[in-house]
Amino acid sequence: MRTESKLWLNKRSKGGRIWDRLSRLKVTDIRYLFFGREINRGLLFKLLIYWVLVITAYIYLNPILKMLVKMVMSKDDMLDPAVEWIPREIYWGHLADAAQSLMYGKSVLISITVSAVVALFHVITCGMMGYSLARMNFPGKSVLLVMLVLAFIIPPQVTVLPLIIMYTKLGLQNHLISLILPSVFGFGIKGSLFVIIFRQFYMTQPVEMEEAAKIDGAGAFKFYWKIMFPLAKPSIFVVSIFSFIWTWNDTYYPNIFLSVTDNVPLALQMARMDEDLKTILDSEEMLLLLMEGIKMAASFLVILPPLIIFFLAQRYFVKSVERSGFID
Amino acid sequence: MMKNRTMKRPRNFEALPFVGPWVLGFLLFMAFPIGFSVYMSFHKVSVLPTRFKYEFLGLRYYKEILFGSSALYDELIPFFQEIAIMVPVILVFSLFIAILLNQEFPGRVLFRVVFFLPIIFTSGSILTEFVNQGQGSLGFMDRFEVGGYLDLFLGNSSWAGPVKDVLNRFVLVLWYSGVQILIFLAGRQTISKSAYESARIDGASPWEVFWKITLPAMSPFILLNLIYSVVDMFTFPYNPIIQLITTGNYGYNSALALIYFFIIVIFLGIMLLLYSRVNKNAARAWKF
Repeated sequence: MRTESKLWLNKRSKGGRIWDRLSRLKVTDIRYLFFGREINRGLLFKLLIYWVLVITAYIYLNPILKMLVKMVMSKDDMLDPAVEWIPREIYWGHLADAAQSLMYGKSVLISITVSAVVALFHVITCGMMGYSLARMNFPGKSVLLVMLVLAFIIPPQVTVLPLIIMYTKLGLQNHLISLILPSVFGFGIKGSLFVIIFRQFYMTQPVEMEEAAKIDGAGAFKFYWKIMFPLAKPSIFVVSIFSFIWTWNDTYYPNIFLSVTDNVPLALQMARMDEDLKTILDSEEMLLLLMEGIKMAASFLVILPPLIIFFLAQRYFVKSVERSGFID
Repeated sequence: MMKNRTMKRPRNFEALPFVGPWVLGFLLFMAFPIGFSVYMSFHKVSVLPTRFKYEFLGLRYYKEILFGSSALYDELIPFFQEIAIMVPVILVFSLFIAILLNQEFPGRVLFRVVFFLPIIFTSGSILTEFVNQGQGSLGFMDRFEVGGYLDLFLGNSSWAGPVKDVLNRFVLVLWYSGVQILIFLAGRQTISKSAYESARIDGASPWEVFWKITLPAMSPFILLNLIYSVVDMFTFPYNPIIQLITTGNYGYNSALALIYFFIIVIFLGIMLLLYSRVNKNAARAWKF
């Protein structure tokens, strides 16, 4: 009895305190609760953030979710308009068909090799070029900067026809080396962007180290590879991922340079598969609906490897981006 | 902003191994192809079994493309209008998302991952696949019959088509923003916390802080994103004009590609001019 009343008293006094505080609460305090002292601290703003982000995230993810659903739908589920999101059974046939017509094992191997080698060369050559533009003084530097901008904005269509002729003359047409060769020299897909990323990074590094190295008698080349290049980890990381993924997804250059051969990267193999499916659709009675299943399965198989890499690397990726060369 | 602190003593030969490969690459993959393209654009190129035959035509292809038919303009004008709508939308959207993602709240890592996904998808044929499947439009377009309202506002003006096209492929606008969000996110990190703290102590409202601190500090990144977005749209292999440039008829297609390039340069020039009018600091901050 006694303890109970004590508890009650206690409760009451606590309630009293809250009431006291509430009565002393000013309008501004309520405003701060909802809007925050700074706008980004308030409850209302937090809710707004979530609302906006969830909606946009849904828009982003919707096609991917559709893809995942469609690729495991059986024929019956596809023909049934009642089934939109949840298939009645999981059907793996589309994936198997897609894997077979993509020649998955071989194509993946080609894609991984080409993309990794291209990324490697981009890091090496674009890194050196970016460093020289950020840190070195030599005649003709401003001309080089103009050339860099030109290389950035020129559409690939301007240079592609002469390149075909050049590759044919060199005997490289229909050879995988044709995809790698530009990256050796810092060109290829968005090579100039990578130079810019490295340049921006090296511009933020303190100049004192170079002077110290000079006094110690280290040559510029050695100094770069021993000291500056390892410092550029964030930029190296960002450039490798961009280069790898963009090379992986590219169909434009492979389509032109590898027009005849069967050994092609995955993305081109998929484009070819699409063409094949189109002719089947035109000639025979294969339902467009059913084709979607195979196409979606193929799309999934194509993006699966970069997706895995991205998820494994995303933590470092975000950090690296924040510290990488975009920063002036 | 960082001063360009290069070394005082010029050591010309030391730069050679650094710039050498790139310069060689420029000659091989840019200078030679551009020059050869110009040459071919003045010639009728026929492919013989053992060699190419060039027959001088002068400016005939250029005249044909620019004045002979309307094929280029039919594709170009709506595409320009689309870019003129899409680029500002992409910039505002990605700046907005980057600022949101920069806030501290639980689950932000998850959202960041989602917003970086487009980087994996946008460059590939996957995107065309999605658009072909009709995944490009937002559901509400049909649901609220936005098209009807647009007809009311825009009537028969030439903008009705492009505006509708952009809205129909609005998801694409979001999907194109992956790299831009990244760049803004990185840029936002360069603004020091102390700038915000002192502004708060001085009694600036969040609204003022955004316009007086965040936006000016972001202006070099807005410029970078502007250039990136325009170049990206112009060089994206699935854009309608690039589809016109095929690997047949070398001379004609070279002329077409070069005309297209000049158009890009002019368009970029206008964009930069407009931007520098709006923001005088930007050009200074983002030095080239």
